[in-house]
Amino acid sequence: MDEWKPNPTVKPHKKRSWYLAWKYKLMNQRALRKLCQTGAVLFLLVTVIVNIKLILDTRRAAYEEEEESAQDYDDEMLNVEVPRHPVNNKKVLDVEVYSSRSKVYVAVDGTTVLEDEAREQGRGIHVIVLNQATGHVMAKRVFDTYSPHEDEAMVLFLNMVARGRILIFTIKDEGSFHLKETAKNVLKSLGSQVAPFLSWRDMWTFVGKKGGEVYGEKHAKSPALSTWGDPVLLKTEVHLTSVEDAECHWPDTELNRRRKRFCSKVEGYGSVCSCKDPTPIEFNPDPLKDNKVFDVPVAVIAGNRPNYLYRMLRSLLSAQGVNPQMITVFIDGYYEEPMDVVELFGLSGIQHTPISIKNARVSQHYKASLTATFNLFPDAKFAVVLEEDLDISVDFFSFLSQSIHLLAEDDSLYCISAWNDQGYEHTAEDPSLLYRVETMPGLGWVLRKSLYKDELEPKWPTPEKLWDWDMWMRMPEQRKGRECIIPDISRSYHFGIVGLNMNGYFHEAYFKKHKFNTVPNVQLKNVESLRKDNYETEIHRLLGEAEVLDHSKNPCEDSFVPDTEGRVYVMFIRMEQEADFTTWTQLAKCLHIWDLDVRGNHKGLWRLFRKKNHFLVVGVPASPYSFKKPSSVTPIYMEPPAKEEGAAAVPAVAAAEQT
Amino acid sequence: MQKINRNVVLALLSLTSLVFLLFQLCYYKFYLSQKNGAAFSKVRGSQSGQDSTRWHVVRKFLGLISSHNIPVYLIDPLILGLVDKDIEQIKSSPDGPSPECKYFCAPRDFTTFALLDKTWKHEVGLFRTAEKMGFQWLKIINKDPRLDGMDDLSGMEIPLHYIFKLSSHAIHLVVFYERSGNFLWHGPLRLKQHMDRKFVPFRKLHFGRYPGAYEKPELLLVSIDDLKVQIPKNPSSFLEDMLHSRFLECRYREARAFFQLYPDDASLEAVEFRKKAKSLLHLAALTLNNLGVKFWLSSGTCLGWYRQCNIIPHSKDVDLGIFIRDYKADIIPAFQKAGLPLKHKFGKVEDSLELSFQGDDVKLDIFFFYEEDDHIWNGGTQAKSGKKFKYLFPKFTLCWTEFVELKVHVPCETLQYVEANYGPEWKVPVKTWDWKSSPSNVQDNGVWPVDEWDNVIQIY
Repeated sequence: MDEWKPNPTVKPHKKRSWYLAWKYKLMNQRALRKLCQTGAVLFLLVTVIVNIKLILDTRRAAYEEEEESAQDYDDEMLNVEVPRHPVNNKKVLDVEVYSSRSKVYVAVDGTTVLEDEAREQGRGIHVIVLNQATGHVMAKRVFDTYSPHEDEAMVLFLNMVARGRILIFTIKDEGSFHLKETAKNVLKSLGSQVAPFLSWRDMWTFVGKKGGEVYGEKHAKSPALSTWGDPVLLKTEVHLTSVEDAECHWPDTELNRRRKRFCSKVEGYGSVCSCKDPTPIEFNPDPLKDNKVFDVPVAVIAGNRPNYLYRMLRSLLSAQGVNPQMITVFIDGYYEEPMDVVELFGLSGIQHTPISIKNARVSQHYKASLTATFNLFPDAKFAVVLEEDLDISVDFFSFLSQSIHLLAEDDSLYCISAWNDQGYEHTAEDPSLLYRVETMPGLGWVLRKSLYKDELEPKWPTPEKLWDWDMWMRMPEQRKGRECIIPDISRSYHFGIVGLNMNGYFHEAYFKKHKFNTVPNVQLKNVESLRKDNYETEIHRLLGEAEVLDHSKNPCEDSFVPDTEGRVYVMFIRMEQEADFTTWTQLAKCLHIWDLDVRGNHKGLWRLFRKKNHFLVVGVPASPYSFKKPSSVTPIYMEPPAKEEGAAAVPAVAAAEQT
Repeated sequence: MQKINRNVVLALLSLTSLVFLLFQLCYYKFYLSQKNGAAFSKVRGSQSGQDSTRWHVVRKFLGLISSHNIPVYLIDPLILGLVDKDIEQIKSSPDGPSPECKYFCAPRDFTTFALLDKTWKHEVGLFRTAEKMGFQWLKIINKDPRLDGMDDLSGMEIPLHYIFKLSSHAIHLVVFYERSGNFLWHGPLRLKQHMDRKFVPFRKLHFGRYPGAYEKPELLLVSIDDLKVQIPKNPSSFLEDMLHSRFLECRYREARAFFQLYPDDASLEAVEFRKKAKSLLHLAALTLNNLGVKFWLSSGTCLGWYRQCNIIPHSKDVDLGIFIRDYKADIIPAFQKAGLPLKHKFGKVEDSLELSFQGDDVKLDIFFFYEEDDHIWNGGTQAKSGKKFKYLFPKFTLCWTEFVELKVHVPCETLQYVEANYGPEWKVPVKTWDWKSSPSNVQDNGVWPVDEWDNVIQIY
């Protein structure tokens, strides 16, 4: 800046004073300069300090803010970011399908989606449905086409699968014995060359698109009746389509969004996923006037039978007076598909880690479900308990609404059940009639909270006890002489064929012909007469009015009951003491009603219908109603047949009974 | 040349630092205004007297929820505090237009509303409408505690809190659930990792730091500041509830682990004892609540809750604690009226008071606790020798919990409480327990003077 330079041209002697003055001035200036410099340094220092302070301040403030907003509110569980699946741009899937006598497997892009090498299991045609856009497995089924009628189920299933889906077939062991022409034609229409000629113990694999191209087929003929065809392994490629092509274009509503989510994941539910005119998933049945069960929670006990659950929920949500908010579906196990069904209907579902095995597993699942129900609805005094293999009558809630006050007020009641064990097509007539029975039918029933919390829950069978929960509930220690109210015509229908204690034969024999009410808004008759003492009056009135049948005839014959309508008849059977059901069991057998154990009795009296007449059966002398027997009448005695016959019929239930 | 350089450098440095300083000042000011926006707006608000943003946001929100038929009620403690002062006037003029905006115009970050879970169907379409109206929203979901106590059930996560934000104001909607024990529960507000921590200043929320337990409020429809809202019928008792609402969930996971190690006693006697103890506890709670006496689970009953979420079947009695300042002379007659005769009374109100009542096979022990500066203690008395004992506990506060279908208090600092009483080995069940020597916090406390025995040792 103002740098001082001595001037050589200046003459010193003449200008000494000036020089001095200048020097003095210069010194002054230096002081000024020094001052300036010091000032600048100081200023710099201050800036630095202020800067540091500012930085510290803002950082602390920022940190505090961070702390403030989050500290107390952080989720303790630090959710590790789940790595997202890389966007699948792949257009081709590698599919491997294996078929042999003892093992089948299917692998898609190296992932095994089906593997079955269990012995004595999984015989027949395995079918897998893949989503044509994503390659996800949408359904897995096995049809034991070695046995009759399974091919019909397969045709039904294949018809339900949407066009464009990828179908994979493979045979384990044997799949042709009962594969009829219709089924073969359906397979042929899918593009299979071999299907029409499939024969005994052939091995076969096939991959194709429904209504489209064939990706591959392999077949190995069985050389002789006693041997199987050689194992076949089919390796092929499947071309994926775009997501838009694989979806339907329903209007964008909340309901359709649920439908879309469901239909892109699973297959085999028929018209709910049809692009044109899909079946509704919301039903809006008429509300009930003065609905007393609107606030009663409904627990649906389910396992891994999603198709059953689908059918069950449809009927439940269509019943008049249903309150979807009170419904909770409890799924025993972490199965996806039942949960998908639950979400389709917009209901809430809870999954339960299975505990123990077989009957005990079911029993533990019941306990957990009931406890959870009363936890979720702490105000509830009752809970409706349903199973996934029941159809629910349109007037189910109306029936409960009219009768539930009895359960609240009458301590001699154990439950209200929608199911009449003896209510078959030929033995039930009156939708407005109710009974009191000493057995607990289950299959759609109402449980009192106090009964559960005070009595049942604390001593519920522990997991190591392989007991059926319902058998346990029927034991005298639990029931303590209390009774259940049931309708003459059941308000539920048991359609399950596959199950723990269930098979096709058993279902055909005992459940198929069960009567099921389809009339809405049935006004129940004389509900007050179901109270403990009133009911005795009612029975006495009935017996007083009843005509005694001709005891010389065979009670199994149709002619035992006259060809009348609307009359009341009574017959007397031998029943030495309270637990003597010898004659009753034989009578039940020949009447083709429930005979596997004793159901539907009230103090040694059974009530049912024959030829549209009310038909009473009194056990003499054990029943207190025996006094109504005219002295001239000898109670009928029926001899049980030779023992093994009775025991062999249904081992599963017989075994359960004994526990 | 050097000199020139030095000066130039100095000048340049000064200049830059000046610029830098200015920049920093600007930044600081900007930052401050952002951070303390509310504080500034408060100043502005007080100048203009009102802040209508909040009122508008609340009105919009009420419109939104009424269009979806969602019944909410106001639980904002600041507004309820104001409302409580004028409650009579508000009740008497339910429809009159209000001359000034008194409640909803005080500028705040939040207005808090409550929602009873069972009174609405889940949010079909609510959020889309909210977005259309300009709201930004945040939903906080978590596990359902009502299923937590169950073995291995996993339900869907339930919504606990919603926050609706519009311009500078946010509505905090707390979801209340009914729990066994006839009370309402709301969950804690916990942000998941991916959530926006700055969405609103969470720290200023009145609800959500802890879960809370409340009585079911009766509601009242009022019109305040020309807005129709439901409020708790008795705002002051709601506010009182709120101060002591902290709720502790039972440690179900630890309880399950405990039962893995020591399987539960499922014998008939155990079932019977639990049933009786439960009904005794229900009766005791009813009696004390009617008297308005605050009590908590103590000793073995507290240990049972903390360790196994259930009554310990071999414990033989039910133990409760009460602060001596809450003592009422009515306690004994009230229990006798409820069918629980006095079994013995040790000590006196001034020192070591302890009452025992005889239930149906199960004894109810009530210990009275004395507060000192740095600890709390209760006393014990040996009947035959007149010896006194003192049990010391670190200071504690009370929290609500749910136990055998009952809403009861337990010490919030339960671990310290249990450890003081049962030592570090409290996790191991002990069947033989001597109350005079087994507790790790017991101290000898002299002997009662013989002339007082008649008074301080009463056995019936």
